[in-house]
Amino acid sequence: MMEKLYLIARIADTRVALRSRTIHSVVTVGTPVEVPAAPPHVAGLFALRSRVFTLIDPHVVIGLPAVPVVAGQRVIVIEVAEHGYALLADEIEDVCFIDAPETRIAGNLLPGWARVADAMIEHDGASLLVVDPSHLIHLPCLKAA
Amino acid sequence: MGRTDTAMDDLLNDFLAETAEILSDAGGAIVAWEADPADRAQLDAIFRLVHTIKGSSGFLALPRVTALAHAAEDALDQVRRGHRAADAALVSGVLAVIDRLNALCAALGQDGAEPVGDDGDVIGALAQQAAGAPAPVEVTGVRLRREEDIGADLNGWRSIRVPLPLLDSVMTGVTDIVLARNEFARMLRESGADSATIAAFERLSDSIAGMRQSVSQMRMQRIDKLFAPLPRIVRDLAQELGKKVAFQTSGGEVELDREMMENIRDPLIHIVRNAIDHGIETLDDRVAAGKDITATISVAARQSGNQIEIEVRDDGRGLSPDALVAKAIASRLLTAADARALSPREKLELIFRPGFSTAAKVTALSGRGVGMDIVKANVEKIGGIVELRNDEGRGLSILLRVPMTLTIISGLMVRAAGQYFAIPRGAVREILLESGDTVRVDRVGGSELATVRGEQFPLLRLETILGCERDSDDDADDRALVIVRPGQGQSYALSVAAIHDHEELVIKPAAPMIMATGLYAGTTLPDNGRPVLLLDVQGLLAVAGIDASEAGRSKDGLADAEADALATRNATQLLLFRDLNARVRGIRLSVIERVEDVPASALFESAGRVQAQIGEAIFPVHAAQPPAGEGNIKLLRLHDGRSVLCYPIAEVIDIVRLPDAIQPSPTPGLIAGVALIGGEPVELIDPFWLMEQQAVRSAPLPSREPLCHLADDHDGWGANFLAPILRGAGYRVTLAGEAADETPDLLLCLSDDGGVCDHAAGEVPVIRLRSSIEATAPDDQSVYRYDREALLAAMRRRVGGARP
Repeated sequence: MMEKLYLIARIADTRVALRSRTIHSVVTVGTPVEVPAAPPHVAGLFALRSRVFTLIDPHVVIGLPAVPVVAGQRVIVIEVAEHGYALLADEIEDVCFIDAPETRIAGNLLPGWARVADAMIEHDGASLLVVDPSHLIHLPCLKAA
Repeated sequence: MGRTDTAMDDLLNDFLAETAEILSDAGGAIVAWEADPADRAQLDAIFRLVHTIKGSSGFLALPRVTALAHAAEDALDQVRRGHRAADAALVSGVLAVIDRLNALCAALGQDGAEPVGDDGDVIGALAQQAAGAPAPVEVTGVRLRREEDIGADLNGWRSIRVPLPLLDSVMTGVTDIVLARNEFARMLRESGADSATIAAFERLSDSIAGMRQSVSQMRMQRIDKLFAPLPRIVRDLAQELGKKVAFQTSGGEVELDREMMENIRDPLIHIVRNAIDHGIETLDDRVAAGKDITATISVAARQSGNQIEIEVRDDGRGLSPDALVAKAIASRLLTAADARALSPREKLELIFRPGFSTAAKVTALSGRGVGMDIVKANVEKIGGIVELRNDEGRGLSILLRVPMTLTIISGLMVRAAGQYFAIPRGAVREILLESGDTVRVDRVGGSELATVRGEQFPLLRLETILGCERDSDDDADDRALVIVRPGQGQSYALSVAAIHDHEELVIKPAAPMIMATGLYAGTTLPDNGRPVLLLDVQGLLAVAGIDASEAGRSKDGLADAEADALATRNATQLLLFRDLNARVRGIRLSVIERVEDVPASALFESAGRVQAQIGEAIFPVHAAQPPAGEGNIKLLRLHDGRSVLCYPIAEVIDIVRLPDAIQPSPTPGLIAGVALIGGEPVELIDPFWLMEQQAVRSAPLPSREPLCHLADDHDGWGANFLAPILRGAGYRVTLAGEAADETPDLLLCLSDDGGVCDHAAGEVPVIRLRSSIEATAPDDQSVYRYDREALLAAMRRRVGGARP
């Protein structure tokens, strides 16, 4: 059943359905600690129950300008390769079972989304991109400067 | 019954675990002892190890193990009592016993019972040597074995074994306790608790600190353990390959997390095996390259900031980037076009490509299907890196850098750009105020330099390296300099906005994209609950692109090292070889240009002398006749700056330092003298004499050949018979009637008429040749015309000779 469980959220200005398998929790953060000289999508570090998490700004991963982190902002905590990350979310809507099948992506996505989106799914009369959150922690390979 | 069985199983398991440990220690200790048989302490240690196995196995009724241990103990005791010499045969015998014990223990572990078998071969080999040894002689002053000094060390083995996962969970638990304590401390401060509560908390805090110290020690192990099996591996492999290797380790006291240790054990062994198999040249190649015949492999560990560095260095041939590229193209890992685009560094790193092997053919020894790619992957798995430092032709050093993450370290908290960072306390040498009297900061050509009490350090500003603005709230007068020593022989000054305090920090690895900046070694959560980045003090240097090497900054010490190196270089070295008659002889290494390996058929006899064809050239050989038979022959190529002479030998043995004491030969000859080398008399070849012999017979060109005029050559004997001989001996010849523009150096008078030579002209010396063998008068200075030797000698006397 876990396969059918999705977290509906708005990240990087887009409503998406995140596969819940990799999602740890959804929490709020205070002011993160900056990481000087880190890649642009690293929004900082924050601690949660004596663990340090790396805050990721999906806007940058998708190719949009970075957004400032506001106190009390909600983040999606995930774990990839034994490291904890948190994705900045514009808005967390709901966690729900979606029975509809995942379908092939129709249409021409922006390159940033095309890279991270796996499929599409129909929910509540809207088409949502199905995204594996672990795809959102890595920047696309930078083109040669 | 069942109870007894369980108890026995426990005992057996303990025995096996303990014995495995002892055997791995013993292997290394024995090899070390073989190198220095006079090392009594080492011998005693080995004896105790074997004695321990004998004792425990007797208790468990393992007759084969007991018998083996007993045999080894017996042999070693003989040595301890001075009844037996510690030779290579004995060492091999003891090592064979240890191998057999290892095999038995493996079987025991599997089946729970000692397999049936016969160890007579191994034990017999040890005993046999004992029989052949000279009759026991009671030596006074040799300390006999005392039971108490054996017992004392047995206590060293009093320990219990704990499964690693349990240890890990204890560690995780303590880490959580420390973090909870930190959080609790912050809450206490904020709540303004009364002093009694704070005092109680302090007590708790102290005992937690003590406990976490013990727990991290539990996980730490001296890196010695990792090095223990290496001497044996080196010895066996070097012997197998016929190479001579001196193996050294250093930094064995450095401690490393057990888990890290497990992860670098195989990579380390693989690198060492590679060094012997591929890195170290064959004996002949080493001689040809002018290197010490005994190669050196050193494994050194050191703590460098928050990392442990393990360096494996060899003085072999190093890596050849071009050969690597050729190999990669040949094995289709790379196209020629791609290869051209590679930087030298990338070429070297080809060895990390999967499916790459540097050896032209994969040998059975190091080519076990494990490549450097696996080594690299294993080290990177634990957050480490592998670095190559190549000195082509002179050696390769492979550096493993493993992080100390997942450990608790003492950290110095500093502030920069309004944010806190941690610096490992171990790397901090000194903390100073930047505006203090002892510090002078100079701007030199765009970079900054801090001079502290006459010592200069490159100055890095943390904000600049991190690419941040300075915080406007920070007071420039408060800025502090942290003198950081990231590793041996490196130091620099790090300028920070302020120093905060010291704290015990639990270090966790940061996310890969943060580690990739090279600036940070991990993250930590101090008391205030806000994450802090731990700076990678070595990485800061790399990012700043600064050479922080202390070399050349402080002059003393360095000069000594250079003087030592010079002295070593100046010491005369002697090449020991076995000649064709199986005698061991020596010759100064400096006169040998190279060692040639040629087929016996390349040597031929011509004009009464043996010559060798090497490549396109023909060289004289010092030999009475060409060697009989097939196969290859080795030639020492001697070079005196002008001419070359080859000296045939059977094999190269070693290069040693020429002893000061040489017993010279009474008469000049092939042997210049005899010297004692390793207790054996060795004849030293006299290269001067060899070359002298050679020079008399061959013909290098003198700068100017003396002119010899033949007078009264009425019958053409002079022109036809004598002139070719003279030309061959290095004279120019003019005949009667030939107009000579220059005055001859010598006049040869061929008229046979009683000593009158009317061609005598001024200062030119004259030699008269006579046709009779007997001299006609007692004071006759003439030379019989067919006495070639006498004639040439007389000519040499007159003009100084066409050649020496």
